[in-house]
Amino acid sequence: MTAQEVRLCGLLLREHFGEVVEKVGTHLLKCGAQNLRTIIHETGLSVDLVKKSLCVLVQHGASTFSSGRKGPGSPTEYHTSCDRILRILRYPRYIYTAKTLYGDTGELIIEELLQRGHTTMSSTVKTVADRLTQNMAEGLTMDYSEVSSTFSKLVETHFLQRCPPLPRTPATPGTPAAPVNTAPPTPESFPECYKVPSVTLIGRGKRQLASEDGEEQRSAKRAKMDPQTHGDEGIYWQVNFERFHLHFRDQTIISAVANKLDQTSSEIVRTMLRMSEVTTSPMATCTKPLSANEIFRSLPPSYNILRPILDQYLTLLVDDPMEFVGKAGESGGGMFVVNLHRALANLARATLESVVQERFGSRSARIFRLLLRKRHLEQKQVEDFAMIPAKEAKDMLYTLLSQNLVQLQEIPKTPDYAPSRTFYLYTVNQLPTARMLLQSCYKTVANLVERRLFETKESKRLLEKSQRIEAILASLQVSGAEPEQLTEVEEMITAPEKQQLDTLRLHINKLDSAENQVDETIFLLESYINSTNASS
Amino acid sequence: MAEVKVKKETNLSDPVEVENRIKELCQQFPQGITDQVIQNDMPHLEPQQRAMAINKLLSLGQLDLLRNSAGLLYRLKDSQSTSKMKGSDNQEKLVYQIIEDAGNKGIWSRDIRFKSNLPLTEINKILKNLESKKLIKAVKSVAASKKKVYMLYNLQPDRSVTGGAWYSDQDFESEFVEVLNQQCFKFLQSKAEAARDNKQSPMVQRNSSFATSHEVWKYICELGISKVDLSMDDIETILNTLIYDGKVEMTVIAAKEGTVGSVDGQMKLYRGVNTIIQPTGLVKTPCGLCPVFDDCHEGGEISPSNCIYMSEWLDF
Repeated sequence: MTAQEVRLCGLLLREHFGEVVEKVGTHLLKCGAQNLRTIIHETGLSVDLVKKSLCVLVQHGASTFSSGRKGPGSPTEYHTSCDRILRILRYPRYIYTAKTLYGDTGELIIEELLQRGHTTMSSTVKTVADRLTQNMAEGLTMDYSEVSSTFSKLVETHFLQRCPPLPRTPATPGTPAAPVNTAPPTPESFPECYKVPSVTLIGRGKRQLASEDGEEQRSAKRAKMDPQTHGDEGIYWQVNFERFHLHFRDQTIISAVANKLDQTSSEIVRTMLRMSEVTTSPMATCTKPLSANEIFRSLPPSYNILRPILDQYLTLLVDDPMEFVGKAGESGGGMFVVNLHRALANLARATLESVVQERFGSRSARIFRLLLRKRHLEQKQVEDFAMIPAKEAKDMLYTLLSQNLVQLQEIPKTPDYAPSRTFYLYTVNQLPTARMLLQSCYKTVANLVERRLFETKESKRLLEKSQRIEAILASLQVSGAEPEQLTEVEEMITAPEKQQLDTLRLHINKLDSAENQVDETIFLLESYINSTNASS
Repeated sequence: MAEVKVKKETNLSDPVEVENRIKELCQQFPQGITDQVIQNDMPHLEPQQRAMAINKLLSLGQLDLLRNSAGLLYRLKDSQSTSKMKGSDNQEKLVYQIIEDAGNKGIWSRDIRFKSNLPLTEINKILKNLESKKLIKAVKSVAASKKKVYMLYNLQPDRSVTGGAWYSDQDFESEFVEVLNQQCFKFLQSKAEAARDNKQSPMVQRNSSFATSHEVWKYICELGISKVDLSMDDIETILNTLIYDGKVEMTVIAAKEGTVGSVDGQMKLYRGVNTIIQPTGLVKTPCGLCPVFDDCHEGGEISPSNCIYMSEWLDF
């Protein structure tokens, strides 16, 4: 929980949930697990506000509660972790993935679940059907069963999972409690995690008609109390982020293979990864061994390549220096595994090299790659291998050293570390450098978010004016006014103001897309660091 | 009996005889004789006389004193070098000998001082003297540009001193290296593309995209962009820099002895490759390249709200 992470989490919470939740959330992040009374006292907010904020945080899975440190009888403590909050950055990517895999229905289901945190299947299905019906042509409505089937598909492929049921606290504090499991139960530890409940959902989506506007607005304030029950009360669903992450990781590996080798090799790797989707644990360093026969059978039918050609491709993949695929045995025509950890390490290394290249130039990148390969080198050796004149090489090495991308290792010849009698070796350590870059990424995203908020604040007056004018226009159109009135209203915004609005929109879009791009780097570096920690 | 006595007497009494005898022994053993050999030959010679004779020969410059692991060796000096040193005194001879020993790597003046134990002024005088007699020359070293190493006049300086093919007059030729870099990369890239367009089986495709270091060397020689003769090792250092640029990869295969370009039964193959990822997301933002990234924080002089790099980037 570094300072940069806390700052970024605060900004994300403020944008999505408001300032009160931000205050409570950042306080919990900085101070660890605390109980309700302490939070109220230290943040200075009222009891209701704190309670509501905690509800929001728990609903979205950002916060967990458990019984206190002093034992089962003490007040419950609330604990927040920044991982979950940082996932908010990645929501657009999740929604886009769902769209590519399962179409608009899938996209809307994931969007609903991300917005609400935990919901039941029935309420999700209904809301999604309504929204889809909204966008469909006149007279068509979306059937609930279609949405349910997409929901089930999402559950089958583990993109959605049930929320773990809450542990029951003992009624009387005096009774000796059963040994409390201090670690929060993971959703996967429950056997029915991915079981779709049998829900009776018959009906179609309702289109929101214009005439019902007034009534809808009144009842929208109150939570829709649906009198119907559908047989799945108490079963709440949440998005399984880990599964999405595995999917992203697979995508990155496949595109890397396509860049390095060719399209067919990447298809082969895609098949192998698809076959190992459910059999490989998330933290495994490589997939389970697959025989060449199985791979041949599972290739998509559009790629009809001959068996000997497939063998050749597999041999080429194994021989490649990047070591994406390894050979694990000879039975069944050759057993092959995808080296996940090594692929992630190579991708992280390519990321580091690309950062050095863009920041300092291609010759510094040459020195950086040289040090990554050869581990420890003296300054003279660096100059010789990289074929860069001595003065320039010295300059570049010192710049890299000052940015902490390169480290210096001293090897003394004498017990007193006399500089003239010590070897100074330059070296690059991949893991600490990756961590450092990750923190820079967090800071960058926080900067981008702040800039976006600043730009919006600057033009607040202008934005409000344009919103008012749009509202007036909409109401005029509904009540059927003449074109002259419309144009008159439109002209209330002058041309330079319109231009300003356009540039503002452009800026905000640019900042948004930049946030997504930096998030891709964050994902790569985080996966690499987690994978290294898990395998060591 | 009388003859033997006479012989012994002549041996014992005449130092010139002793010296001549030693010289004959040296001629018999051109690689040098030890003290033991002289003793064996003239067992009745006292050590003092032996030592006197040897010293006389050394000072006359007719014997060379060497040391090996077993002890001291005496070797006959060839007459050519003895004539060269006529007119020079002992100190100069000593300095000359030290420089000669350094071979074609040359020796620094301070090292000469250490080895000969002569004071600096003497050394400088002697060096100037020898240079004017055209017996030694000074060569500037490429490693430390102020250092001058001395070596015999007719010797070629070693590669480590002049830097080899990449240095011309002590300057590292970076443009030359760059040009070679580009040419090698273009050659390998076109080979890889030709292989890819070939559309044969993948194994054949990959193997034909490889080029041995020998092929690259031949190509560069035929291009004729280099005025200096480049060896295969030089080309390999250039190809290594391409590997460190991430544009080329190398494999080593076992090759039969005698095939062109194989060294010790191995051949190095090089192939142009693409990078595995696009430039990463972080560097697409101004913060990724910002020189004052560490000074930037909200509410400070440099902050995201008033960042000029961001403003420029947004208006781009």
